[in-house]
Amino acid sequence: MSSVTVSAAGTAAGLLSRRRIGSAGRRVLSRVLAAVLVLFASATVTFFALHLTPGDPVRAVLGGPTANPSPATIAATIAEFGLDQPLHVQYGLYMSRLASGNLGMSFSQRQPVVDVIAAQVGPTLQLMASSIVVAWLLALASVMATTRRHPLLQGLGSALETISAALPQFWLALVLLAIFAFGLRWFPPQGNQGALSLVLPTLALALPLAGFLAQVTRESLELALDQPFILSARTRGLSDGAVRWRHALRHAVLPGISLSAWAVGSLIGNAVLVEVIFSRQGLGRVLYQAVTRQDMPLTIGVTLLVTLVYILASAAADLIFVLVDPRLKAQHL
Amino acid sequence: MMTLNRWRQPARTTSLLASVGLAALGAAILPAFGADEPVKGGTLIYATDREPTCLDPHVDGDMPQVFIAQQYTDSLVSQDKDGNIGPWLAKSWTVSDDGKTYTFKLRDDVKFTNGEKFNAAALKANLDHIKNPATQSSTAGGYIQQYVKTETPDEFTAVVTLSKPYAAFLEVLAQGFLGIEAPGALARPRNENCETPVGTGPFKIIKWDRQSQIVLERNPDYNSAPPTAAHQGPAYLDQVIWKFIPEPSVRFASLASGDVDVIEAVPPESEAEAEQNPDLKLIIADRPGNPTNGAINTTRAPFDDIRVREAFVRSADISSALDSVFFGRYKRAPGPLSAATPFATPDFKSLYDYDPERANALLDEAGWTEKDANGIRQKDGKPLTIHVPIGDFQGPAERSLWEQIQATAIGTGFDVQLEPLGFSEWLDRQATWNYDVIPEYWNTNTADVLRIVLSSEFLGAAGSGGYHQNASGFKNAEFDALVNKALETQDPEARRKLYYDAQKIVASNFLQVLTFPQSTRLGVYKTAKGVRLEPSLSVTTLYDAWVQK
Repeated sequence: MSSVTVSAAGTAAGLLSRRRIGSAGRRVLSRVLAAVLVLFASATVTFFALHLTPGDPVRAVLGGPTANPSPATIAATIAEFGLDQPLHVQYGLYMSRLASGNLGMSFSQRQPVVDVIAAQVGPTLQLMASSIVVAWLLALASVMATTRRHPLLQGLGSALETISAALPQFWLALVLLAIFAFGLRWFPPQGNQGALSLVLPTLALALPLAGFLAQVTRESLELALDQPFILSARTRGLSDGAVRWRHALRHAVLPGISLSAWAVGSLIGNAVLVEVIFSRQGLGRVLYQAVTRQDMPLTIGVTLLVTLVYILASAAADLIFVLVDPRLKAQHL
Repeated sequence: MMTLNRWRQPARTTSLLASVGLAALGAAILPAFGADEPVKGGTLIYATDREPTCLDPHVDGDMPQVFIAQQYTDSLVSQDKDGNIGPWLAKSWTVSDDGKTYTFKLRDDVKFTNGEKFNAAALKANLDHIKNPATQSSTAGGYIQQYVKTETPDEFTAVVTLSKPYAAFLEVLAQGFLGIEAPGALARPRNENCETPVGTGPFKIIKWDRQSQIVLERNPDYNSAPPTAAHQGPAYLDQVIWKFIPEPSVRFASLASGDVDVIEAVPPESEAEAEQNPDLKLIIADRPGNPTNGAINTTRAPFDDIRVREAFVRSADISSALDSVFFGRYKRAPGPLSAATPFATPDFKSLYDYDPERANALLDEAGWTEKDANGIRQKDGKPLTIHVPIGDFQGPAERSLWEQIQATAIGTGFDVQLEPLGFSEWLDRQATWNYDVIPEYWNTNTADVLRIVLSSEFLGAAGSGGYHQNASGFKNAEFDALVNKALETQDPEARRKLYYDAQKIVASNFLQVLTFPQSTRLGVYKTAKGVRLEPSLSVTTLYDAWVQK
């Protein structure tokens, strides 16, 4: 990998004239502006979507079906949440606070939104990062070991990938628990203390994702291995390993890298299930509860964070794309 | 929301899977339950399904809050398993003849764990706090809407004035929802007190790690155990770790492997297995109140006709449905009050019996005589369709139960439409009376629950968005008079008679399809002893508990 980075950086330095630095700066600026716009839009859409769903956050917070709040309590709660204001005023108030960096107070968790997020974001990011990394390692191992090998080996790799891609995360989580936590007792069944507790939740998320990544990567690796430049590399006397790792793989990983940005978004959704099953702290559970309780400040807070992670993941994917394939520099950066 | 259902549904089958590995492990260890002497010290790990959103039980007031409150607060009075009220932080009390003034003599030797003294001013601070709209109290606050003020003629005498006679006052005071907290702690902002509330109880809150656990430590100076307790003085345990393990199969497997000492909400599919396992013990008790039921909406057709209501109640084979959904572990509710409620009677149970013949006759009589090709009855060209909104928060078992009811009700020509909804949509349907039957329950330790869920006072005048506790829309002057009269007398026999008549009216008006009583279901590993339930709401107390590890 280091040779890739070095050569990419070297060529990049050579090409960067003053003019190009200016244009790169503009590109970065426009990306940041676009990101701010996306965040603004996601806050706005979430705000109005929550108000369009039927129901009443005050009732949801005051205990729902088996509660008996006095009229005075209901009125005080409505006023405290600012829900007695017309909707456009509520929106204006919320957005102006948001612009000054104040995410507000969660209705249901009785804490500032920023505190709720701060307490739960760590375990979720940890889980997402480890899942992406493990998924890539598994995908690469399977693809590199079996693509265009003995037909039996190839069939086995391809079948394993298809099966893992089809595994439902919750089922996988329960099976992993039954075998490795309760049966063999190698890993703790719940909580998020220590590295060992990260293993099973990571596998539950990473295995299906690895299946997807591997399927995509295998297909493009096969295509790459058929390219004329591979033949020329082979005729230059390069070993099969060098051909695969240095030449073919670079082409083959590109679709998977694009897919990874999408995967980060979907991992947050699947994290809800895995966090509940493994009793892990995390934002997935928080978001689920916030939505069901129509907890507007908390839902928007978590949504903004998820959006931000997605934006960063997309940017990172673009950057890695360029590093892997320097031909794309002009279009992407 | 659908995604959560996706993993909840198969939980039953997967828990079997999760326990495959356990059978071998459990068998190696011999049973060791005995009436040994309590041992001081050690940590007990308790795992429950739901996490509270605030540790102060006055705020909001959901069941997870009362479970944690029971560990760190004492109540003003206690309630034994027969429903009798006894002393606790109050030594004695008198009630004025008009039923509106309660004079409490308080203990003078009790301190909160922050060093504050318990006295009449502290009691006043608590009742004022519960009543204060800014507290956002919907359970405790709802139970003392009659509260006006507290006067403190001397340090340990409190005179509480109510706006009208309320004989259930002492009963609700015995609930952990009205647990007594330190006035200095209550004076802090609400959300701060939610995080670190302070009581006089056997344990004190040390730390709350959200979505993970609460750590409690022994109160070494505890001297105010209720008469319902098995011992006096400080608790045996040094520490309690109160964990949240939402997935039922994981919670049960953690118990069976001894990773945790006690679990709450034992999954019904694991109860038989727990009974077979010599390392495990079950503690199961019904909760008092209005049992789980489907409230029948009497305010619109077809259930504005009592014959159609009775026909529906008679068409639901509840016993078979419970047997199939809960593996025979849950019994039918005996009447509109669960058996654990003071003044409950099982005398009207037969009115809720499955009787399809009678149901058919009633429907014919009510004019639902035509039948379509699927056997659904019709009247004036309209099918006999029953809309039942079921919230996803009510769990997969409730849904399965109603699928069973749907299956038996079609036999007499009811087309039961189950409508799975998210929490807020469900609340909206409830608020707008847009249902024919809606599943509900109400946990409380007094027969006064009948007034809350069935009297005309609770039809919805009191809230935002049509909020109503009386979900059947029942409006009956005779019933209203009975349940209100029952609040005017302290005489148990007079109350018993009034509530008996009230239950008779409820049953003979066919207002609810009664299913099963709410219950507390603990699983206890052999390392934990002395775990019991405080009778007022059948809530876990770890005060008498100890561990042998």
